[in-house]
Amino acid sequence: MGEIILGIEEAFLLLISFNKEIYGIILLSLYVSLASTFFSTIIAVPIGTALGMRNFKGKGILIRLIYTFMSLPPVIAGLFVFLVIMRKGPLGHLRLSFTPTAMILAQICIVVPIIVGLTYNGVKEKGNTIRDLGKTLGANNRQTLFLLIYEMRIIILAAVIAGFGRAVSEVGAVMIVGGNIKGHTRVMTTYIAMLQNMGDYSKAIAVGIVLLALSFLINGILFNLQQR
Amino acid sequence: MNIYLENVIKEYEGKRIVHIDELHIKNGALYGFVGPNGAGKSTLIKMIAGLEPLNSGNIYYGHKPKSNPPFEIMTLVFQKPYLLRTTVEKNILYPLRLRGWTEKAMEERVTELLKDMGLSEFRNQKSWKLSGGETQKVALARAMSFRPKLLLLDEPTANIDPSTIAIIEKMLRKANQEEKTTVIIITHNLQQAKRLCSDLVFMHRGNAVEHGDVEKVLNHPTHSLTQRFIEGELIVD
Ligand SMILES: Nc1ncnc2c1ncn2[C@@H]1O[C@H](COP(=O)(O)OP(=O)(O)OP(=O)(O)O)[C@@H](O)[C@H]1O
Ligand SMILES: [Mg+2]
Repeated sequence: MGEIILGIEEAFLLLISFNKEIYGIILLSLYVSLASTFFSTIIAVPIGTALGMRNFKGKGILIRLIYTFMSLPPVIAGLFVFLVIMRKGPLGHLRLSFTPTAMILAQICIVVPIIVGLTYNGVKEKGNTIRDLGKTLGANNRQTLFLLIYEMRIIILAAVIAGFGRAVSEVGAVMIVGGNIKGHTRVMTTYIAMLQNMGDYSKAIAVGIVLLALSFLINGILFNLQQR
Repeated sequence: MNIYLENVIKEYEGKRIVHIDELHIKNGALYGFVGPNGAGKSTLIKMIAGLEPLNSGNIYYGHKPKSNPPFEIMTLVFQKPYLLRTTVEKNILYPLRLRGWTEKAMEERVTELLKDMGLSEFRNQKSWKLSGGETQKVALARAMSFRPKLLLLDEPTANIDPSTIAIIEKMLRKANQEEKTTVIIITHNLQQAKRLCSDLVFMHRGNAVEHGDVEKVLNHPTHSLTQRFIEGELIVD
């Protein structure tokens, strides 16, 4: 109990101290998670929409695979990206190992299935109705697609919120491909794991509280957008 | 708009749902489609609206042989209309925006429609807060906004109170008389058909069993099925 109260105190002190290291870690966390969520959204929304609207052979199996990948353990995503970008890997020449870019790539692997799966579900439910509506009101294919995305905005934002939540909270993938290098690839989750390891519990709790607060803030912004 | 149906066949899972040898929808008329549940009325109207592909046959719009559905000048109001997740006004504006109307023309049209429908106070209301009858009226206003040449309606007054029915009928009559819109309405209410329609098509098991002038079909049906339907015997197929 004492540790928690100490942690809350320390979280507050940490924030008003404007400690460069802490703010660097917070900013990198935000950068990595927001970037991975952003790119995942761009990749996943069209895929989820297409899956919801079209029928083809093998679709059932593909959907089951996507649902499975929605709960992909981050360490596996990390391991996969690690193997691809390591020196001897297929993309080794890009020298991405232990960089923030590698962390973003790993998180994209985790977040894309989540947004695809949730978007697919929404489109499957509403897609045909909206396609028919678009036709009856005289919209062409492109306009109908925009109409569909507009009508899906709440579901898409919910998917984005879920994806971001997953990205910002995971530790396995960023640890493997980033390596928790001080001042370079250290983010809040890997920092917390390290602090816990070193027995600095109050500081670990402090960073945890900051992480939660930030998550709350970002979700608040997305939630506000969703209510429009 | 004249519409010609020729040997139109629609099947679901090998079962024949609609089979119309020949049917001519006359330009400027106000048609009622009636018939028991499951007769294929909704399926037929969706095919006319260009939403359901035919298994075989042809539907011609305007003058033969042009046969692509002219989506820009026709529309369908579903029995359970879907309103966009935005305000009443933006719903009605949407087809006009697609057609590139000027702001001024759109403003005038929306104001007029809202007034005629008795919806003025709902202009900025969010669509999901509307009642069933209000939703139906907004959907109708949206469908009529761009003055379509063909207006298709699937049971627009089912579950609607009498005063709202009166408004909807008034609007349909107005579109038909002032804008020369050809109207097809599916209804189970023969009194409504009598009040509103110029022509009637009686459907049974996918066939247009009888069609013609509304008074003639209701008063002197040539087919025993029609007779039984009018007498209230034939409700479910
Ligand atoms: N997508 C579909 N797949 C299979 N069967 C269908 C489908 N749509 C309609 N049917 C069948 O086609 C028949 C005609 O349906 P339709 O909805 O056109 O009837 P309706 O005349 O509009 O009836 P109601 O008065 O009850 O609305 C019904 O037996 C229905 O079960
Ligand atoms: Mg029906």
